[in-house]
Amino acid sequence: MEGGQTAVISAATALRTPRAQAQATKPARCKRVLHFVFPVIAAIASAGCGQQAPPQSDRPIGKIITIEAPLGLPPIPVPADDPETAEGVELGRRLFYERRLSAGNVLSCASCHNPQLCFTDGQKHSTGFQGKTGTRNAPTVMNAAYFPYQFWDGRAASLEDQAAGPIANPVEMNQTHDISVSKLNADPSYRAAFEKAFGPGRITINRVEKAIASFERTLISGDSPFDRYQFGGDKTALSPAAIRGLAIFRDQSKGNCAACHTIGQNYALFTDGKFHNIGVGVDGEGNLVDQGRYSETKLDPDRGAFKTPTLRNVALTAPYMHDGSLKTLRDVVDFYAGGGNSNPYLDPKTREIKLSAQDRADLVEFLQSLTGKLPADAGPPAETRTEQSE
Amino acid sequence: MKLHTVFFPICCVVFGSCSTPAHKEAKSDAAPAPVYFKIDPATAGTLAGVVRFKGAKPHPKPVDMTSDPACVDAHHGKPHDESLVVDAKGDLANVFIYVKSGLEGRKFETPSDPVTIDQQGCWFEPRIAGIQVGQTLKVVNSDPVTHNIHPMAEVNRAWNHSQGAGDPPISRKFLKPEIMIPVKCNIHSWMHAYIGVLDHPYFAVSGNDGKFRISNLPPGDYVVEAWQEKLGTQQQKITIPPSGAVETAFTFKGE
Repeated sequence: MEGGQTAVISAATALRTPRAQAQATKPARCKRVLHFVFPVIAAIASAGCGQQAPPQSDRPIGKIITIEAPLGLPPIPVPADDPETAEGVELGRRLFYERRLSAGNVLSCASCHNPQLCFTDGQKHSTGFQGKTGTRNAPTVMNAAYFPYQFWDGRAASLEDQAAGPIANPVEMNQTHDISVSKLNADPSYRAAFEKAFGPGRITINRVEKAIASFERTLISGDSPFDRYQFGGDKTALSPAAIRGLAIFRDQSKGNCAACHTIGQNYALFTDGKFHNIGVGVDGEGNLVDQGRYSETKLDPDRGAFKTPTLRNVALTAPYMHDGSLKTLRDVVDFYAGGGNSNPYLDPKTREIKLSAQDRADLVEFLQSLTGKLPADAGPPAETRTEQSE
Repeated sequence: MKLHTVFFPICCVVFGSCSTPAHKEAKSDAAPAPVYFKIDPATAGTLAGVVRFKGAKPHPKPVDMTSDPACVDAHHGKPHDESLVVDAKGDLANVFIYVKSGLEGRKFETPSDPVTIDQQGCWFEPRIAGIQVGQTLKVVNSDPVTHNIHPMAEVNRAWNHSQGAGDPPISRKFLKPEIMIPVKCNIHSWMHAYIGVLDHPYFAVSGNDGKFRISNLPPGDYVVEAWQEKLGTQQQKITIPPSGAVETAFTFKGE
C-alpha cells in the first residue's frame, strides 16, 4: 500500500542516501533537474491513471518571521527558498522529534541530538538502528545554522541538505525517504500541518528537509558569560582565570586556538567553518583511521581533516573531537598541549602550541564560560512530549 | 635496575629463536624469505661486565612536578633526576652497552615480543631501552593524566602521540638502527628516556649494580660501545673465543 502511494514520488525524489548526497557536488542543481523532469513524468502518468498531482512549490507560504540573534552572534543566514515561518518552524520541530522517521519508529533526530544534552547524545559514537554505531561523534545542532558545511566532513552544504541524510543512513534511522514520507502521509494531522506550512500539495522529502531546517535555525545560543564580557561591556562576567584563558586562547604564541575557533570584532562563531587535520583519529601505529574531508574532495591535504566545531556550549557537549575520543575539556586542552598526534597531513599550526600547566587550567576555565542561553521552544512539542519522556 | 633482569631473559628468548632459523623454500613468485644468521650454541660466548663511575658522587636534583598535581600524586615518593645514577660503591646504572661492529653481513631475526615503555608516575619506565629494527615498541600510559610521547629520532622518522588516561597502548616500530633516540613527553618537561635501535640482539643496559651481560654472542672480534646520556661513549675491542666467557669493565669519569 505504501509502495503504491509513493510510486511516482519515488521516481522524482529518488533515494538519497548520505553517500548519494555526498556525491552530488551541487545538490541544488539536482533539485532543479528534478523540477524539469517532473512535468514529463506527471504528464505521462496522468495519461495513464489521471491521479498524478501537478508539480508543486516547496517554498513555505506563511508570514516570514525573523529569528533574533542573541548577544555575540550575527544575523542568522536564511536561504531564499526556505524562509522562516511560524508554521514551518512548528512543523520542523514536530518532525525533529518524530520517531516515525526511523525504521521501527524508534529513533528521531533528537535521539542523537538531545535537547537535554545541548543537542548531542553524550556518547562517543551514536547508537542508531538496532544498536548499530557509526564512527563519528554526534555534533550539536545548536548554532549549526551559521556553518557553511554540515557533517564532520562537510558533505552537506546546508541544513536542508543535511536533514534527510541520517533518516536514510543504515546505521542511523535506516528508513528510505519514500517510507518516511508515506508514514507522514498516513497521518491527517501531518497532511494538514504540511499544507499549512507549504500550501496545497503532497508531503515530499524536500518539504520535510525544509521544515526541519527551519526549526534548526531557531536553535541559536549566545549571550554567554564570554559574550557579556566581550561584546556586552560587562567586565565582571568572566572570572580572572577565564580572562587569562581568553588571552591564551587568542595568543598566537600560546594557545592560538582562535586561529580556527574564530572570535570576530562584533561576534564570535568559534569556528572558521574550515577543515583541519589536528591529529585526531591517528591509531597507535600512526595511521589515519578516518580520511575525513578527503573522502569528499579527494585532495591529499584534506586527509584526516575535519570541520572545526564551534566551541559555544562546549562544556555541555562531551565527549569531544570527531571521533569522541576525548572525554573532558581538560583532555582536549592536554591533547593540544602535547601537539596532537603526528601524521603526514597534520596542520603545522598544531605544532606551535605552547601551554604551561597554568595556561591549560586557565583555558579550561575559559571554555566553561562559553555556555550560552538556550532558546525557550527547543524541546519536543506538547503532543509528542509524553512519547519522548518514556 | 629492573632492566638488567628484563634484558637478560629477552636476550635468551631472542637467542632461542635465532638458533632455529626458518628454512622456508622460496617460491618463484614470492619474495625470498630472509636467511637469518645461525648461531651455534656450542660455540657462542658471553660478554659480562660492570660499569663504574669515578669522581665526586653526584647529588641528583629533585624534580619539580608541582605544575601537574596529578603527577605528584601518581609518582609515590620524591622524584630525582636520573640522568646520572651511581650507587654507594660507584657502580653506574643506565648505561647502554652494545656491539658496535663485528656483526656486519649477518641478519638477525626480529623478536616477536614487544619492548615496553610505561609512563608511570609521570616517569618513563625504563629510562633506557634497547630494541631491534622492526621490533614493536609498546607504549603504555598507566597514569591518570594525558601524556604525549615524542621520540625525537633523526635517522628514523620522528613522531609524537597523545595518550590519555586509560587509552590503549601505542605500537610503533623503528626501521633503521639509531643510537640513541632521545624521548620526551611533550606535556611533562621532566620526562626523559632514550631508545637504542639495533639490527642485532647484542645489547644490554647496566643495572643499579653497574652490571651488564650480553649472551649468545658468536665467537669473533668486536668493538663494544658503552653509552651514557651525560658522559658520552667509550669503546673497547673485545674478542670472544669459542664458548668464551669474557669479563670486562668500563669506567666513566665525572667532574
